[in-house]
Amino acid sequence: MAQAQIGEWEKPLAKELLKAQRNGRERLKFLIGGVLILAAVAYLVLSGTIAGIQDFVMVEKLINDPAYVGKTVRLSGAVIGETIMYDSKNLVIEFTISNIPDKFDNLAVALQNAVDNPNAARVKVRVENEVKPDLLQHAAQAILTGKLGEDGVFHATELLLKCPTRFEEAHPGLSLIHSEA
Amino acid sequence: MLAEVGFIATFLAFVAALYAVVVSVYGAQTRSNSLVLSGRNAALSTVGLLLVACGVLVIALIIGEYHISYVWRVSDPSTPIFFRITALWGSQEGSLLFWSLLMSVFAVGAILLNWHSDRQLMPYAVAYMMATLAFFLGLSLFLENPFERYWIVGGEQVVEAVFKPANAMAPSAENLANTAKGLNPLLRHFGMIIHPPMLYLGFVGFVIPFAFAMSALASGDLSTNWIKATRRWALVAWLFLSLGLILGGRWAYDVLGWGGYWGWDPVENAAFLPWLIGTAFLHSVMIQEKRGMLKVWNLFLVIGTFSAVIFGTFATRSGLIDSVHSFARSGIGAPMFIFWASITIISVGLILWRWNRGQLHDEHPFTNLLSREALFILNNVIFVALAGAIFWGSFGAPIISELFLNTNITLGTDYYMQVTPPLFLAMYILMGIAPLSAWGATSLWRLGSALLVPLVLVGGCAALLIATGIPPMIAILGYGVVMLAGVVALYEIYRGTAARRRGLGESWGGALVALFGRNRRRYGGYVIHVGVTIIGIGVIGSTLFQKETQQTLRVGESLQIEDYQLRYDGFIEAIAEDGRRMEIADTTLLRHGREIAQLRPRQDLYPDMPMTIAGQHSTFENDVYILLVGWETVGEDSATFKVYINPLINLVWYGGLILILGTFIAGWPNDPAPARVRERRATKIHAESTA
Repeated sequence: MAQAQIGEWEKPLAKELLKAQRNGRERLKFLIGGVLILAAVAYLVLSGTIAGIQDFVMVEKLINDPAYVGKTVRLSGAVIGETIMYDSKNLVIEFTISNIPDKFDNLAVALQNAVDNPNAARVKVRVENEVKPDLLQHAAQAILTGKLGEDGVFHATELLLKCPTRFEEAHPGLSLIHSEA
Repeated sequence: MLAEVGFIATFLAFVAALYAVVVSVYGAQTRSNSLVLSGRNAALSTVGLLLVACGVLVIALIIGEYHISYVWRVSDPSTPIFFRITALWGSQEGSLLFWSLLMSVFAVGAILLNWHSDRQLMPYAVAYMMATLAFFLGLSLFLENPFERYWIVGGEQVVEAVFKPANAMAPSAENLANTAKGLNPLLRHFGMIIHPPMLYLGFVGFVIPFAFAMSALASGDLSTNWIKATRRWALVAWLFLSLGLILGGRWAYDVLGWGGYWGWDPVENAAFLPWLIGTAFLHSVMIQEKRGMLKVWNLFLVIGTFSAVIFGTFATRSGLIDSVHSFARSGIGAPMFIFWASITIISVGLILWRWNRGQLHDEHPFTNLLSREALFILNNVIFVALAGAIFWGSFGAPIISELFLNTNITLGTDYYMQVTPPLFLAMYILMGIAPLSAWGATSLWRLGSALLVPLVLVGGCAALLIATGIPPMIAILGYGVVMLAGVVALYEIYRGTAARRRGLGESWGGALVALFGRNRRRYGGYVIHVGVTIIGIGVIGSTLFQKETQQTLRVGESLQIEDYQLRYDGFIEAIAEDGRRMEIADTTLLRHGREIAQLRPRQDLYPDMPMTIAGQHSTFENDVYILLVGWETVGEDSATFKVYINPLINLVWYGGLILILGTFIAGWPNDPAPARVRERRATKIHAESTA
C-alpha cells in the first residue's frame, strides 16, 4: 500500500524529469545542427569570397602598379567618345578610358573633367565577343571586369556602362540664358 | 502656380504626418480617445494631400510645364502622353514623392481596415507609419524637391528654387521646351513602367507589418494580434515585391540586350533582400500562430524586412555602391542612413526591453528535429543565410574593404554563382519535405513513407531526362531537387482532393474548389510552391543550356544555331511616330527547314542614344533571341546578328504568373467586406432577428 502511494506520488515527477532530459537532448541536437549549418554557410561565403574577390581600381592606380598586370580586376573610367572602334562583324569593341578621381561630388561633372583633361591617366580597352552596348558613348562611365595585358591594353570580359550626363544629372546651365540673349 | 500648390500640399502632408506621430503616441500614453482619433484623422488626411501633390506633378508633366526642373529633365515636347504620366517615377525626386503617396495609401488602408479590430495597436501603428512617411516627405521637401523651378538670377546664373528668388526672372517657355531632356529611352518599356511602382508597393507594404509589430512591443499587446492584423498586408507586400522583381527581370531581358534577366547587380540584390527576409517571415509567423513559438524571431524578421527595405532604398539612391542602375549621387545618403540606423536601434531596443521583462517567452519548446516547426526554422535559416550572403557580396565586402582595409574590393558574379546555388537547393529540398511533416513531432519513418510517392514521381522524371541523354548530372540533380518541391505541393493538393472525394462523395472539381476554399492559405501556399518550382526549372535551363552564335549575313544567306536557321531577307529604314529612326533587319526563322516566324530585330536611334530591340520567338521550349548588332547597306548589303537560344526561359515568367495566382488564393479574405461593414452587417442581422 505504502509502496503504491510512493509510486503514485513519484510518477509525475519522474515524467517531468524524463521530459526535461528529453528536451535537453533535443536542445543539444538543435544546437549541434545549428552550429553545423552556420559552419557550412560560413564556409560557402568564405570560399565564394576568395573565388569572387576583385580589386576595384581606377585607371591611374592600374597603370602605375605592375602588380595588376595579368590580375582580374574591376576597372572604372570615363569613355573617350572619339576612340570608340566597333568591328560589328567580329564583335570587337575598342576604346580608351580616362581616370576618374577617387572622390567627387557630381559624377557627371567628374566624367566630363576626366575626358577633357589631357593629362589624366588613360588606358586602352578591348572587349571581344560583346555587342556594343547602347550606352557606350562619350563621357559615359565604364565599369569593366578583366585583366591588364603585357601589351598595356585592358582586356575586358564584362562591360557595364552608366551615363549620368544624359539624364539623371542634367542641368540646363547657360543654355537657358544664351539663347534668350 | 502648379509648383506652389504641389509644394504646399506636400508640406501640409509632412506637418499632418508629424502631428499624427506626436498626438497618437501622447493620446495612447494618456488614454485620450479624442487625441488618438485626432491623430488618426491627421494620418487619413495625408493621402488626400499627397494625391494633390502627385496630381499636380502629373498635370505639370502632361501640359509640359518645363519651368519645373523635374519636368524639364524627364520629358520633352516629343514625349508621348503615356510616358509623361509614367515619368512621375522616372527620376529621383518624382519617385520619392510617389513612394510617399503609396506609403500613405497603404497606411490609410491599414487604418480603415484594422481600426475597429485592433484598437489597442492602432495608435502606435499610426505613429510608426506616419514617422516613416514624415521622413520620406522631409526628403522630398528639403533635399529632393520635385517642385523646384529654374530661375535666372542677375541675367547670368541659373538656379533651382520653388519660390522666385529676389532679382530673378523665369526663363522663356520656348527656351525651356527646346532644351528639355526627355525620358531615358531605356525606361520606355512596359516592364520599366510597372516595375518601379510594384517594387515601391512591395517596399511600403512591409512598413505595415513592421509598424504593427513595433506597436505590439510599445503597447504591450504581445499576443498574435499584430500578426493576425498584418498577415494579409505582408502577403500583399510580398506579392508586389515578387511582381516588381519578375518585371524587372523581364525588362532587363527585353531591353538590355544581353540575353539574361538577372545580373547580381547591387541594386537588383537590394530589392531581393527584403523579399528573402519577407519570405522567411511569412513562413515563421505560421509557427507563432499555431504553436506560440518564435515570438522574438518573428519580431527580428519583420524588423529585418523593414531594415532591408530602407537600406535598399538608401543604397540605391545615395550612390553608396557603384551600380549600373543606381540613381545619381545625392544628399539623401546621410539622412537615410541615420533614419535606418535609428529605426533599427529603437526596434531592437524595444524587443530587448520586452524580452528582459519575460514577456516574449515561447509557449512550447522545440522537441523534434523533423517536426514541421523545426523544418520551418531551417527554411528560415536558409532564407536568412541567402540574404546575409547576398548582402555581404553586394554591400558588406565592398563597404568593409573601403572603410577598414583602405582598398576597394568587389565580389563578381563568381561569388554569387558559388554561394547561392547550394542554398537555393537547400531551400527547394525543404520546400519538398516540410509540407509532409506534422506540427509537434514526426517520425523519420512517417516522413519517409509520405515522401515515397513524390520521390518515385521525381525519379521517373529524372529517368526520362537521362533517357534523352542531353543534360549533365548536375542538371539532373538540380531538376530533381527543384521538381520534388513542386511534386510534393501537387501531391498534397491531390491527396486533399481525393480524401474529400472519398469521404464526402464530391466530384473532383467540387472537391478541389472546396479544398482550396476551406484552407486558402495552405493550398494557396502550395500553388506558390508550384510557381517557384517552375521558375527554378526555367532558371536552371536558361543558365546551364544557353547557346549563342554571331555571324554576318548577306541578303538571302542563313546562319545555323542548333536546329534553327536564321535567314536575312533585307533591310528596312523607317521613322516612328515620335521621330526616332528605326533600322530594321527583316529575317525569317526556320526550324528543320520549315519557316516558323518572321522576326524584325532592330535599332531605334533616339537623339541621344541608340537602342537595340531584340527579335524574339518565344515558345514553351525556348526563346530564340536575335540582336541586330551591325549593318552595311552601302555596297555589300549585309547585317551582323547575335543569336541566343535560351531554353525554358519562359518558364521563369509562367512560374511568376502561377506564383501571383497562388498569392491571391492565399491572401484572399474569407469575407471580402472590411471589418466596419462586417460589424454593421452583424448589427443589422442582430436587429432583424430581435425585431
